[in-house]
Amino acid sequence: MLFIFGACGQKQDNIHLVDIPENVDFNFDIKPILVQKCYLCHGPDPSSREADLRLDIFEGATARLESGNAAIVPGKPGKSELLKRIGHSDTEMRMPPAEMNQELTAREIALLKQWIADGAVYEPHWAFVPPKKKQDDIGYPESATEAIDALLAMKLQEQGLQPSGKADKETLIRRLSFVLTGLPPTQEEFEGFLADKETDAYERLVDSYLASPQYGERWARHWMDVVRYAETRGHEFDYVIQGAWRYRDYLIRAFNEDIPYNQFIKEQLAGDLLESPRFHPENETNESILGILFYTMGEGTHSPVDTRKDESDRIDNIIDVTTKSFQALTVACAKCHDHKFDPIPTADYYGLYGILEGTRFSPVPATTPVMVAQTIEEANRLKAYIREELGSNWKVDAYDEKVPVQLTAFNSNITNSSSTMVLGDFRGQDLSGWKSDGKAFGPKSTLGNPVFLPDSKRLAKLDEGKASSRYYSTGIFGVLRSPDFVVDKDYIGVRARGHKGTIRVVMDNFQLIQYPIYGGMSQSVEDEEWKDLVFDIGQWKGHKAYIEVLPGNYQQHRYIQQEKDYVEIQYAISFDREWQEPPLEVPKASFDLYKVIKNWKIYQSNPEEIISLNKFLSKNGNITIPANLKDAVQKLDVLTQQVKDSLYFSGVTDGFKIESPVFVRGNHLELSTDLVPRSFLPGITGSNPAIGSPGSGRMEMVEAILAPGNPLTSRVMANRIWHHLFGRGIVETVDNFGLQGKLPTHPELLDYLAISFQDNGWSIKRLIRSIVLTEAFQRATLADGKVQDKDPENHYLARYPVRRLEAEAIRDAMLAVAGNLDTAAFGPPVKVHLTSFMQGRGRPGNSGPLDGDGRRSVYVEVRRNFLNHLLQTFDFPTPFNSFGKRDVTNVPAQSLMLMNDPFVIHQAEVMARNLLTYPDADYESRIRRIYQRLFSRNPNTEELGSALAFVQASNHNSALSLQEMMDNEAVWKEYCHALFNVKEFIYLM
Amino acid sequence: MSDRLNRPMGRREMLEYCKCGFGSLAFMGMLGGMVSACKPSLKQPSPGQILDRLSQTPHFIPKAKNVIFLYMDGGVSQVDSFDPKPQLAKENGQDPKFKVDATQFNNNGKILMSPWKFKNYGECGMPVSELFPHIATCVDDMALIRSMVSNFPEHTNANYFLHTGSGLQGRPSMGAWITYGLGSENSNLPGYVVLNGGLIPPGGVDNFKNGFLPADFQASMMKVGDEPVANINPYAAENTSQRDKLDFIQKMDQGRLGHLGSPSDVEAAISNYELAYKMQSSVPELTEFKAESEATKKLYGLFDEDPNTRNYGAQCLMARRLVERGVRFVELTCPMVGGSVDRWDQHSNLKDGHERNAHAVDQPIAGLLKDLKSRGLLEETLVVWSGEFGRTPFAQGSDGRDHNPSAFSMWMAGAGVKGGTIFGQTDEYGYRVVENPVSIHDLHATILHLLGVDHNHLTYHFGGRDIRLTDVHGHVVKAILT
Repeated sequence: MLFIFGACGQKQDNIHLVDIPENVDFNFDIKPILVQKCYLCHGPDPSSREADLRLDIFEGATARLESGNAAIVPGKPGKSELLKRIGHSDTEMRMPPAEMNQELTAREIALLKQWIADGAVYEPHWAFVPPKKKQDDIGYPESATEAIDALLAMKLQEQGLQPSGKADKETLIRRLSFVLTGLPPTQEEFEGFLADKETDAYERLVDSYLASPQYGERWARHWMDVVRYAETRGHEFDYVIQGAWRYRDYLIRAFNEDIPYNQFIKEQLAGDLLESPRFHPENETNESILGILFYTMGEGTHSPVDTRKDESDRIDNIIDVTTKSFQALTVACAKCHDHKFDPIPTADYYGLYGILEGTRFSPVPATTPVMVAQTIEEANRLKAYIREELGSNWKVDAYDEKVPVQLTAFNSNITNSSSTMVLGDFRGQDLSGWKSDGKAFGPKSTLGNPVFLPDSKRLAKLDEGKASSRYYSTGIFGVLRSPDFVVDKDYIGVRARGHKGTIRVVMDNFQLIQYPIYGGMSQSVEDEEWKDLVFDIGQWKGHKAYIEVLPGNYQQHRYIQQEKDYVEIQYAISFDREWQEPPLEVPKASFDLYKVIKNWKIYQSNPEEIISLNKFLSKNGNITIPANLKDAVQKLDVLTQQVKDSLYFSGVTDGFKIESPVFVRGNHLELSTDLVPRSFLPGITGSNPAIGSPGSGRMEMVEAILAPGNPLTSRVMANRIWHHLFGRGIVETVDNFGLQGKLPTHPELLDYLAISFQDNGWSIKRLIRSIVLTEAFQRATLADGKVQDKDPENHYLARYPVRRLEAEAIRDAMLAVAGNLDTAAFGPPVKVHLTSFMQGRGRPGNSGPLDGDGRRSVYVEVRRNFLNHLLQTFDFPTPFNSFGKRDVTNVPAQSLMLMNDPFVIHQAEVMARNLLTYPDADYESRIRRIYQRLFSRNPNTEELGSALAFVQASNHNSALSLQEMMDNEAVWKEYCHALFNVKEFIYLM
Repeated sequence: MSDRLNRPMGRREMLEYCKCGFGSLAFMGMLGGMVSACKPSLKQPSPGQILDRLSQTPHFIPKAKNVIFLYMDGGVSQVDSFDPKPQLAKENGQDPKFKVDATQFNNNGKILMSPWKFKNYGECGMPVSELFPHIATCVDDMALIRSMVSNFPEHTNANYFLHTGSGLQGRPSMGAWITYGLGSENSNLPGYVVLNGGLIPPGGVDNFKNGFLPADFQASMMKVGDEPVANINPYAAENTSQRDKLDFIQKMDQGRLGHLGSPSDVEAAISNYELAYKMQSSVPELTEFKAESEATKKLYGLFDEDPNTRNYGAQCLMARRLVERGVRFVELTCPMVGGSVDRWDQHSNLKDGHERNAHAVDQPIAGLLKDLKSRGLLEETLVVWSGEFGRTPFAQGSDGRDHNPSAFSMWMAGAGVKGGTIFGQTDEYGYRVVENPVSIHDLHATILHLLGVDHNHLTYHFGGRDIRLTDVHGHVVKAILT
């Protein structure tokens, strides 16, 4: 240690010693000072840089200034202008300027001086260097658990801290049970564990909790905090996010099945794009795709007048939450200017913006069967086979061969004028460059599709060209979407027909289309005859939009598609004055029937050829199907019955490649002329700085997050897990690993965990297991006074921390000990209970049950505007952003709730009633039972005495017999209620 | 600490406070990361440690100690209340001669003159329409801003913006910021109270929440009725008194504390029960109007025929009682006037709707101003009257007005406010601001300024940034200050 003199605090005249480490570390000792006190004006953001000096890089700090001096002259503190200025006696000259309130302490000045004397070496930010096992040469103990303890012990030794002994078994089972499952141990578990004298009893307990279904419920909820989980969109009317709860169930299953974390990331960011998705263990439906609800958990504005602004807010939220969740970076800070602290230029923000702008919101079938892709493939094969067989069967007479059919007029007199633009024309064979999302519209238009009479024996005709959601059959989900275009005409026209189908003009990806402003942007297609639908869009000129054609419809912003619903369109145009049917662009038609049939067989027909074919067919009676085809036709019918969809959730789908301009100072009305290529933080992740994919580019984003060289992904998740096990992360700011985040207390340990997490196949359970088996996790909370004094915040874990339970654990524990817990898993949420204080628009018509039907809190509805009052009082996070770390507050509302809330009183009553069903012989055995349930321990003599006194106090003049008292529900209710209010019940130790 | 309220505080003093005092949460927030440099443990205060938030010390001499925010939900029409526009009468029924922005309903009609006459009042001669005959008698205490602008034409965005400085959901409300910055002066009552007169504004209770600030700073909702505050009524046990039960709980807790190593947050949670217990008795005392004279009640309109006036009058009286007891920030929501004329949002039937809403609040508000003044409370209380935006000078349909964020009127009265002032100017139609525009951020900066808080320095570190109520904007509107 090196000692120098310094003064701390302006009024403290007593000079005292300031110690600085012998080896000054740039990341740990110097950078925090520069970040906190210098970067705002001398950091990476040029827009706020003063005196042309930047101190975030060596080249900047050592460059010659206007004065001729350099801020830092390596090895020469005396010549370094920086040191002169920070210690200047003239307050006008002193840095940082007085009004910043950022004066440097004597210790900080000493550190800077030492660092400059040592050569002023800049090192990259610790979190941006991939984790490495620093002690490879020494080697770690074989088991991860021992390695973790060894790394912790190193620090304890360094700090001269004596670790506490092992906690008693009662404490351990309660700790383990809450940490792994969020519930107190049952009385059986408690008794079993206490009686288990085997040496591996604890280890077996760990395994049984990790294997319990409640484990997933607990850990899914942790993740839900990170991704702003909610089931409604908040804002004015709090519309439901369709199928949001399926994401909750997906998470629970994922944690319980221990899905590798890399797969988990892939599914949430690109679950719709996976070639071989995972399937639900029982229903054999696509499981991976549920992950993409991650994107749609945000809020939704009711009728925003400026949809472009609204879109930028939506995307900003997704960027913010995505980068915090998976990378613990605050990329959203770079929306208006280069990040002031981290190496994240504004271009990185808009590189990511393009990826998300090219991602479209869409309903997605919730229960897509495992075989759907194969089934559709099979259907396509059958269709081709039928064409082949049919066509081969048609007899072409010689005189027919060259006979041209009468050409029908395709409005050839109307020229494609500048006032009309064709947005899509489906009367030909292809889908005009539109995207056929889902399966309903198939890969082509219906042009030439054989239409069979219901008896399957005869061919009615070959179909005209149109895009149809009945390409295979009705009841199948799919959406046809145009490329993005800029609105530059007064109207959009679509010729359509259908049954309860919908056509929407989606402007700036805005989804909550409805009255009053946007009602006209969505039209239902109710008529089975062709109709011309006109959308009046003149006032939205300049906005980006696309058209979407849906077989179903939206009710209260929930997508519904019934078996009979369908939609078909012939073409879509935009025009200024008058609807003009676009002329068909007909390539030179072939009137050679052999050629026509050949074209037809390979889906290469044009409309005229199909007309000629139809004439030919009716003329020649070629309408009977050969016997060998009947089976194929019937089989096709059966096949398409297997891919019916009926349940949907609010998800995303890939749109087209979009590169975004920079919004100057974050203003969506002020755009840069240059477009930013798409990328995912190339400077930090080392990934591709210009994604070329024709789709959104989300897959490339996932690749960047999961690239072996990504320094953050594994560390961030390992740290989140540590945070939940010990109440604080190795990096305390779990959502921010950037320069403003906290430094890791145990950097080597974090690196070790990050590497072994990956080495063990990204298994979250294995990581948790290795940590809860450590001595550190099993330590007692009590420490001797020296430890308390030396490490009051318990950074070094010489003892296990005492902390308050989370809101859900408090509520669930109350249900559990009362005997009122319904452990049923999964399914739609239990309606939230509405108190008289929960008012406002969008309030549900009916309140949910007070006790939430006894279900675990994770199953209670999360309505943004009507959050469960009990959970909220105990710091349930407002779901607008990532909250990897919850607040723990201490407010009177919490005491008032435990003292007076009907839920709490009710649970006490249920518990009393439940207790009466046990044949406890006397007060003591009952009190013992209560203690075991509530606190996982037995009462001591004093507590027994107090309990007896409390219970007896209501037995005035001992009027009641022991049995009468034992059967007196009211007495025990009050006692249980009192114990719910004892802090031990809501604290974990 | 209270003597510090009476004199300005130097920077050095503040630094010293941070380094050596550590009584003040607000300074920890205002000074951001500096705290970590001062505290040996390198740890910012955890929310659980926020125990004592009484009377935090302001940046400079405050004019106001408390704020009463009279929120005019839905948006009062400026041209029908405080910003007379004779031109509208001249062009009544004609198409607007100016460019019309997209509106919420986009059903924009002809120019619509005000159905109400204006008259000049007070020594200052401020014109007020017939809608507010009572408030008109207080104009010499009021500073009127006619040049308010908002960024949002939708209720919910505009509500969040007015309340939290951001159009998005989930940000801390100004009441939360203010109690975070200044604390409460009454240990038995919350620092930030919303008196719910019946209508929670669009956007819901998120208008009043703490956002990313610790939950200590969220609004406590109070309403008229048997249970004015959630869970405030002691649970009546069948065979034991609450006091006995609390004593028993206390005994159990103390007996166990040693086993836990007496962590400070557990100790704090224990002592929290006593505060909650005291609140149970101080709230009923607060909501009980027995001690108020008949004259006072009459002043507030408590005997009015209109139940909405009586309702709002009771809220106003309660607001006075709250600030009297040191509650820092009180917001009143609008009464449920009923039917299609709820709040000020008259997309149709302007005349009927505005009249009924005005009648509900006019006398109670004037009563509040006069009562505060006569008790000397107006000198230390800032009364703020505002909606989230204004309304269009042209009709929606034939007899309504749509939302207009481009110009609206609001006023302040009381502590530090120059009475009788009119600030800012709109065009001849009252459609857009033409002089001295005042943004919502400016309004926030001004309110904070009057409370002795520099809006640039009231920050909280969240998501990688030191965030302010005023974001990166805000200028104090000095012209309306004494």
